[in-house]
Amino acid sequence: MFNRNYKEKMIESVLFSVSALTVVILFLICLFLFRNSLFLFNDFSLLDFLTGRFWYPTSVNRQFGLLPLFFGSLIVTVGAILFSVPLGIASAIYISEIAHPKVADFLKPFIEILAGIPSVVFGFFGLVVLVPFVQKTFNLPTGQTALTGSIMLGIMALPTIITISEDAISSVPSTIKQGSLALGATRWQTIYKVIIPAALSGISAAVMLGVGRAIGETMTLMMITGNTAIIPSFPGGFLESVRTMTATIALEMGEVPQGSDHFYALFAVGSVLFIITFLINLIADSIKKKYRFKVD
Amino acid sequence: MGLSSKTSEKIAFSLLTLATLTVASFVLVILVYIILNGYGAISIEFLTEMPRRMMTQGGIYPAIVGTMYLIIGSMVAALPIGVIAAIYLNEYAGENRTTWLVEMAINNLAGTPSVVFGLFGLALFVKYFGFGPSILSASLTLALLILPVIIRSTKEALLTVPNEYRESSLALGVSKWQTIRYVVLPAAIPGIVTGSILSIGRVAGETAPILFTGAAYFLPRLPDSIYSQFMALPYHLFVLATAGTNIAKTRPIQYGTALVLLLIVLGLNLIAVLIRRHYRNKLKI
Amino acid sequence: MTEAVQNVSQSQIEVENLNLWYGEKQALKNISMQISKNSVTALIGPSGCGKSTFIRCLNRMNDLIKNCRIEGRVLIEGKDIYGPDVDAVDLRKNVGMVFQKPNPFPMSIYDNIAYGPRIHGANKKDLDGIVEQALRSAAIWEETSDRLKSPALSLSGGQQQRLCIARTLAVKPRIILFDEPTSALDPISTSRIEELIMNLKKDYTIVIVTHNMQQAARISDYTGFFLMGELIEFGQTRQIFHNPQERSTEDYITGRFG
Ligand SMILES: Nc1ncnc2c1ncn2[C@@H]1O[C@H](COP(=O)(O)OP(=O)(O)O)[C@@H](O)[C@H]1O
Ligand SMILES: [Mg+2]
Repeated sequence: MFNRNYKEKMIESVLFSVSALTVVILFLICLFLFRNSLFLFNDFSLLDFLTGRFWYPTSVNRQFGLLPLFFGSLIVTVGAILFSVPLGIASAIYISEIAHPKVADFLKPFIEILAGIPSVVFGFFGLVVLVPFVQKTFNLPTGQTALTGSIMLGIMALPTIITISEDAISSVPSTIKQGSLALGATRWQTIYKVIIPAALSGISAAVMLGVGRAIGETMTLMMITGNTAIIPSFPGGFLESVRTMTATIALEMGEVPQGSDHFYALFAVGSVLFIITFLINLIADSIKKKYRFKVD
Repeated sequence: MGLSSKTSEKIAFSLLTLATLTVASFVLVILVYIILNGYGAISIEFLTEMPRRMMTQGGIYPAIVGTMYLIIGSMVAALPIGVIAAIYLNEYAGENRTTWLVEMAINNLAGTPSVVFGLFGLALFVKYFGFGPSILSASLTLALLILPVIIRSTKEALLTVPNEYRESSLALGVSKWQTIRYVVLPAAIPGIVTGSILSIGRVAGETAPILFTGAAYFLPRLPDSIYSQFMALPYHLFVLATAGTNIAKTRPIQYGTALVLLLIVLGLNLIAVLIRRHYRNKLKI
Repeated sequence: MTEAVQNVSQSQIEVENLNLWYGEKQALKNISMQISKNSVTALIGPSGCGKSTFIRCLNRMNDLIKNCRIEGRVLIEGKDIYGPDVDAVDLRKNVGMVFQKPNPFPMSIYDNIAYGPRIHGANKKDLDGIVEQALRSAAIWEETSDRLKSPALSLSGGQQQRLCIARTLAVKPRIILFDEPTSALDPISTSRIEELIMNLKKDYTIVIVTHNMQQAARISDYTGFFLMGELIEFGQTRQIFHNPQERSTEDYITGRFG
């Protein structure tokens, strides 16, 4: 018996150690990203990095200014969100409140397909279809613009936004809906006056996670936004080429000499990216915790 | 408010329907476009031959093989760890700070951009551990990426195992670990398989994490050890489409590669969905 | 306490001043009870009065509940099962339990029965015999002997419950606890299980929770009446039903509440 108890305790400790590995991994990611970033700041000031307006990593007078990359990511993400949030929430409402259950059962996995398509395939599709389309429509020298990136990125963020919003809307207790309908409200009035407000925190979490997905996207954007590291104007910048933080890392890491300032600067960009998505996830998580309804 | 509530409902519902149709049409257009343009390129030779003439002709065999190696390598590393972590979290962990910390770590790993995993893989596996750019480094990097996917789906699968199974096994004088080993885990297998298949789809499609950890532009030979560099389908597509020798001329190869990649990933997703459907109602007592 | 209980000379289970809390809430209050060998003891009372909580103390199933705290003693064959040298897993081999909902594992009929013995190290060549013996004792051998390899979940509800009883018997316990074993079953299945329980009394000590007073009257030798975590009355079944000492027992038995 003591032998068995001992064995059970051993097993539990092993299982615990393995799951603690996740924390170790997260810690190691922070450690390696931040440590490599710090080497940059031996030679280059943190302030200049964070507020620098120019990213000239290879010129004689090299500069590692984050702003063009940061705003590049920002404009593409904002564009994507402006386009995918209304579309995504509308679809989520349609699927959970209006569509026939059979139609909804088909639509949900069908839209989920988008979540499975690899980002290079999105990038490739953007490159061969959307880039020429944008170029012709706006009569531009190149179709590789922030707008192109935003549209593709918006499509990629849709499944995240739809699935999680749909979840939040469906989890609004039906008693609340019936209460409203019983008062003579139409279905639409019930949806926008009762259901949407009740599901709002869940929908916000969906939007946050969509933003997180958009900021972290790499390959698609690298293939279709033109990768010019200039701070974009707003809103005119949508029709210009931009370069995101993610694309910068992906483009340049292959070519830099390891151990150079440029190498460490890319880690610094990665750290910024990591911190941003970390915060976004934290926010989304805390919003999501709130929306769980207590079932009566 | 000039509109009657009936009319505004009609308008609103039409708009919502239109939005959903738009989303659905995105899916349809992308799929149809790639399929129509890609299927002409696909043949047995395309799938089984080496690229020729600076990748302007020939097949994509080494990229398929490389992707297979990545799938095997990352699953070998991530599956046991993920399943064990999920078992601990669902069957043993109490509600305390440590558990909170682990859950928080998993959520954040799930939200970390894949290019950041690439950086980390470069720093830890390629440089610090000295594995160099290799199948090993890339597989381990991808393993970190899918770890949260496996943990979450396994946890979900364990949650659907009715508590009655645990209680009645324990009531037979069976210990907790044996109960998990012989009753709970077998009942959770379909869910674990589903999660693994989805992870395989992720591994097959990811590019950013392998960019600096071992993916090669072109290799004349297949990799011969876990320390070799490799070609992989998504990176191959990226290279052909953006940096190939003759981008316009190799379009058919690009479409073909995109279609193969799409079929692999969507096929895996479909299998996962079917397994989930098949077992969804089987476990309820 | 009544005469009958004092007369019990050799009790298999002795409960002394048992108190149990779920967090702040006290679910069992100062329960004492003696249960004699090879008897059927029924526990009745309105829902939520602590019957399940009580029998789960007898095989330490409450150990699994996180905020559950227990005081007092439970002696089985003279040994305090909450003592430091007692292992709950070993205890449960001797004190089996059958639950309210039939809950066979998602395996074949054979594997369900063989599950316990296998884990407890039964010899492979003895398994067939053990399985047959258990199924016979649970009066379900006739119905299953030709389909031992088919899934247990393909059996009817009543058959599943007898299978669960067989699964418990296969581990060879000395005491079997039943927690409302027939409340999810139809009348015919119910009477088959009642018959089975009365037969099992020869070899086992049985404690059964039931919400069905006729059932308690039909099958038990002793009956305990619980109310709001207290054991109001305990004695021979005939006496409890025909001549209850407490007003609330009488009210409950005659259907005036609960
Ligand atoms: N795990 C638990 N945690 C907290 N309270 C519980 C738990 N299980 C039962 N209770 C409470 O203890 C009381 C007795 O429950 P129970 O023993 O299940 O009653 P019975 O089986 O007689 O219907 C009830 O008030 C119930 O709500
Ligand atoms: Mg009960």
